[in-house]
Amino acid sequence: MPATPKKSEEVRRLQVLKNLNLLDTPPEERFDRITRLASRLFDAPIVLIALMDAKRQWFKSRIGIELTEVERSLSFCDHTIRQDEVFVVEDARLDPRFADNPFVTGEPGVRFYAGYPLETPEGCRVGSLCVIDRAPRRFDEVQRGLMRDVAQIAANEVAHVELNWALQRQRDSEAGMRALLEHIPEGVLMLDVAGTVLWVNPAAERLFLRKAAKLVGRSGHDLLAEDPDKLRAQPGLINLTPYESIGRRGDDSLFPLEFTVNRLLLSGEKRMVAIVRDISQRRANDERNRATDARRRRYFATATHELRTPMASVLGFSELLLKRDFDIATGRELVEIIHRQASRLVDLINQLLDLARIEAGGKDELDFRALAVADLVDQTLAGLSGLGEAHRISVELAPELPALSGDVQKLQQALTNIVSNSIKYSKPDTPITVGAFLAAPGAQPAVGIRVRDAGIGMTPEQQAQIFDAFYRADKGSSVQGSGLGMTIFKEIIDLHGGTVEIRSAPGTGTEITMVLPAIGPFHG
Amino acid sequence: MDKPKTILVIEDQDDLRLLIRLTLKQLGRVSAAPDVRQAMALVAADCPDLVVLDVWLGNDLSGLDICRSLKRDPATSAVKVLLLSACGQQSDVEAGLAAGADRYVVKPFSPEVLVGTARELLVG
Repeated sequence: MPATPKKSEEVRRLQVLKNLNLLDTPPEERFDRITRLASRLFDAPIVLIALMDAKRQWFKSRIGIELTEVERSLSFCDHTIRQDEVFVVEDARLDPRFADNPFVTGEPGVRFYAGYPLETPEGCRVGSLCVIDRAPRRFDEVQRGLMRDVAQIAANEVAHVELNWALQRQRDSEAGMRALLEHIPEGVLMLDVAGTVLWVNPAAERLFLRKAAKLVGRSGHDLLAEDPDKLRAQPGLINLTPYESIGRRGDDSLFPLEFTVNRLLLSGEKRMVAIVRDISQRRANDERNRATDARRRRYFATATHELRTPMASVLGFSELLLKRDFDIATGRELVEIIHRQASRLVDLINQLLDLARIEAGGKDELDFRALAVADLVDQTLAGLSGLGEAHRISVELAPELPALSGDVQKLQQALTNIVSNSIKYSKPDTPITVGAFLAAPGAQPAVGIRVRDAGIGMTPEQQAQIFDAFYRADKGSSVQGSGLGMTIFKEIIDLHGGTVEIRSAPGTGTEITMVLPAIGPFHG
Repeated sequence: MDKPKTILVIEDQDDLRLLIRLTLKQLGRVSAAPDVRQAMALVAADCPDLVVLDVWLGNDLSGLDICRSLKRDPATSAVKVLLLSACGQQSDVEAGLAAGADRYVVKPFSPEVLVGTARELLVG
């Protein structure tokens, strides 16, 4: 008996057999006609086209037997596939290898067997064609020759199957690649070694706003707004490291892009594949992040500065008091300064925290309820009592104003900041008016609240910066303030979906109007 | 006994201006101005030995600009400049020294330290 095939060969044989996709498929006429032919030719009652799986022998075509598969260890064909010649057992009962085989001692009562391996083009014996008789027989050279021929026909059918599958697989994988290239968002361009475009995918057409026909044949350098010599001088450009450049579209507009170039050998031809990405979005995000970072750094630096300034008074004057002698009146004056600056520090910290909370929490931090404008104004002014005593504050509310939807505390804070600015920046005994009116009647209902003073007013430049954190129109003056009041005011009105309008002129006064969305008549 | 030293304080915050005046008066004659215009008038009238200068002067010229112009003008280039600022980052200090300042003191400051620094500049 020939040697058992090596394990690696058997693994490969089983892989080839599996790839045929023939195992456990329905009967096919192209195989059945061969078994019919062999049955006639050899006058045999049983003919099989068998495929040898790992543990079993499965019949693709069979005549004279009901079984569709048998255990490999019991099969005659397992011997056949290890032979280079026709394997013949003239009388199985007399052959010690098969005499006690259940297919010999029992059904179907095999006595005679002749088989020839079915070999694929890559030389794998995946199965066999065999004829079986229930009586012992001789098998001469002519018959053996015929056996080889018929088995070869069957092997050709098996190979045909394989060829079909290979073609199908190729087609599938090509279709897959095409679909992939057509649908990926990156532009893919194939170029020859001179840099001429040979092929592009649809994303490349979209990126460069040019049809494939207008891209093919063009130099890849035409697609970039970058000096070709500079580009060629880039060391290591042709590898998978992304390179950022500027793309030129069909309409001559420019856009930032990133590409990678890789060399490859395609059917023996040297090619370059460029993968191109539009990075406008990424650039815009980077830019935005940089701006946010810069703003945050500026904010932090200013906040620190603003905290240190009152601290300088507190620390400096207290040290002077501790180390030097002052008369009682001067000492008292210095303690008053310390107290004033310490209070300013506390105000500043509270306002910073407020602003941080409003900015971080956004709308979710607000407790929206229906509220009457009259209550809002009354409560705000009541909260300011003391501060505005020297001014003539009057309230002018239009009748039957609709209710607002808002956070009472936050809106009170916003209005307080405005009114207290009017008080701080106008002379005592000058008028301050807090008014409310129906804004945009007929359209989306809204309520306008307007605070007008006859104070020092602001220049257009001052008005432009009034909402910036820590901005103080009148820094050097003795008026106390953190420079955060207007910032907080604007944030609160923004969160309520409102708008703000400023009218001011130096020496004339300031009028600030906020318009807030209303929710209809107030019945509360 | 030497002629008394003259010190000019330029600081826009009223309280701090008072603090610096009180702190430094033991070193000589201290005058103070809240803004550049008044300060320059004082410099022109009597060139001081030391200028104590706030960096952020409200909406006015920056203290750095004043420092640069003092050091550039031959008439005032010998004046010592002590910059005083609540901007205390390394880059702020470097910018101050690059503008020609002789010292840079960060707010809040200890009056003792300010006196010590000012004295060094007046003696040196």
